[in-house]
Amino acid sequence: MRECRVREFFSDGEDRSRKVIEVHDLWVYRDGHPVLEEISFDLEEGTFLGIIGPNGAGKSTLLRTILGLIPFSRGTIKVLGMSPRELKRELHHIGYMPQQVLFDPRFPVSVYDVVMMGRACCIGPLRFPRRRDREAVLDSIEAVGLKGLEKRPIGELSGGQQKRAFLARALCLETSILLLDEPTAGLDLDSQVDFMDLLVRLKEGKGLTVVFVSHDVNVLARFADELVCINRTMHLHGPPREVLGSERLKEVYRCEFDFLAGTGAERRPS
Amino acid sequence: MLSYGFAQRALVGGAILAAVCSLVSFFVVARRLAFVGMGISHAAFGGVAIGLAGGVNPYLAAGGFCSLVAVGIGWMSRKGRVHEDTAIGILFASAMALGVVLVRLTGVYNIDLMSYLFGSILALRWDDIWIMGAVSALTMVFIVLFFKELLFVSFDQETATASGLPVRFVEYTFLVTLSLTIVVSIKLVGIILVSALLVVPSAAGWQLFRNYRWVILASETVGLSSVLIGLYLSHRFDVASGATIVLVLFGFFLVSALISPRREYMRRLLNAFSR
Repeated sequence: MRECRVREFFSDGEDRSRKVIEVHDLWVYRDGHPVLEEISFDLEEGTFLGIIGPNGAGKSTLLRTILGLIPFSRGTIKVLGMSPRELKRELHHIGYMPQQVLFDPRFPVSVYDVVMMGRACCIGPLRFPRRRDREAVLDSIEAVGLKGLEKRPIGELSGGQQKRAFLARALCLETSILLLDEPTAGLDLDSQVDFMDLLVRLKEGKGLTVVFVSHDVNVLARFADELVCINRTMHLHGPPREVLGSERLKEVYRCEFDFLAGTGAERRPS
Repeated sequence: MLSYGFAQRALVGGAILAAVCSLVSFFVVARRLAFVGMGISHAAFGGVAIGLAGGVNPYLAAGGFCSLVAVGIGWMSRKGRVHEDTAIGILFASAMALGVVLVRLTGVYNIDLMSYLFGSILALRWDDIWIMGAVSALTMVFIVLFFKELLFVSFDQETATASGLPVRFVEYTFLVTLSLTIVVSIKLVGIILVSALLVVPSAAGWQLFRNYRWVILASETVGLSSVLIGLYLSHRFDVASGATIVLVLFGFFLVSALISPRREYMRRLLNAFSR
């Protein structure tokens, strides 16, 4: 019953490609100053969208606004055909990984417990986890390659493993959209590559739509289907090659992208 | 000792409060609400004074007043205009000051203020125990029913909010149940010492275990044994029950810190000896 809005959305018209996220003329103010101006883009199902921009460009704000955590002053947002207000009840279709999960590393929970937290909204208030919840959690842990570490305290995992655990938590819902805010920040190069490979595999396997925020153009140049470049307002939107070849990108970042001269295949740690 | 009525009531009341405070203390430690707990318990003094001045049951008045203060602290810090510790600093001192002024103005000196400050478990009546039981039952039911939400919010509030959990409801309800738990615990250990009951059991549990199920179990064990041992010692040596309980709690904490696997004091000690 709870999923009917979403099911309706996905069953409406089999052939045409569906827009899972539509943002039109979005303005967000904070303390009287605009932090986002005139943002518009559509996102089709199954796309990997990279949002790039310098620090303080409003990338995280954009994600949080799409999720309905920050109110906006102008424009429209539709996620799975729903406004943010309607989305509040359907948030279990969206997996979100915040920029930094600020948690106490001594917090006494295991990997399993952390991923089960993600199911909390599916289970619903006043209910306890049932068999299918436990199965979903274990599947999700296996999908991110943490099988065997279920019982380990979360604080004992490495940085890369923790990110995977949080990805598993975002996945164990009836997720169709993943919103990731700098998920690879703070990881070393190998872990970054592993994480991205995992993400792409999961995306293909489950047909997920991914929105990936990063200030690291290199990572996204390689993996994203589309790039949006914002710095308070929207500067560019298109396939990576087009966006990265543009003169505008240099203006936005106010610096040279010599290392992007090729295909963006070079990867450097951020 | 058990043949006395007051001793029976003290044991029953103490056990109930130990059970509920130890459970609550898990979230007090997890959410770093130790100072909030202290603020609320001191604000209870203002509530008691309002009750005494207005001719209302002082505990009832304190319950209402503390809930207001707790929600006030939560609201002020949620709005982000004032830091949480600042909000507590403002509200708890003001509430206590209000209490002092009210007591002075209305001239209710003949009431034993010390019993509110330091507890008077031996003056417990069965009515008090019924109230304690009811409040404790409510608190426990709330925590059990909303356990997964409380755990998620305590671990990572941002993602909990983003996944559509009723974070605000859980937060405020927890603050109110915390206030009510504090108020009913005042009889046992008093305003000044009540925060120990809400912090130490779980703090000891965190030293010993790395899974919340065991932490809570350890916390319950520490809480219950401290209250029972404390009551026995206070009876045996004729000292204040509240203070004795807190000292026993502290003793448990010291032991758990010593044997904590996190610190490995014991292993180092054994190594030193075996060398």
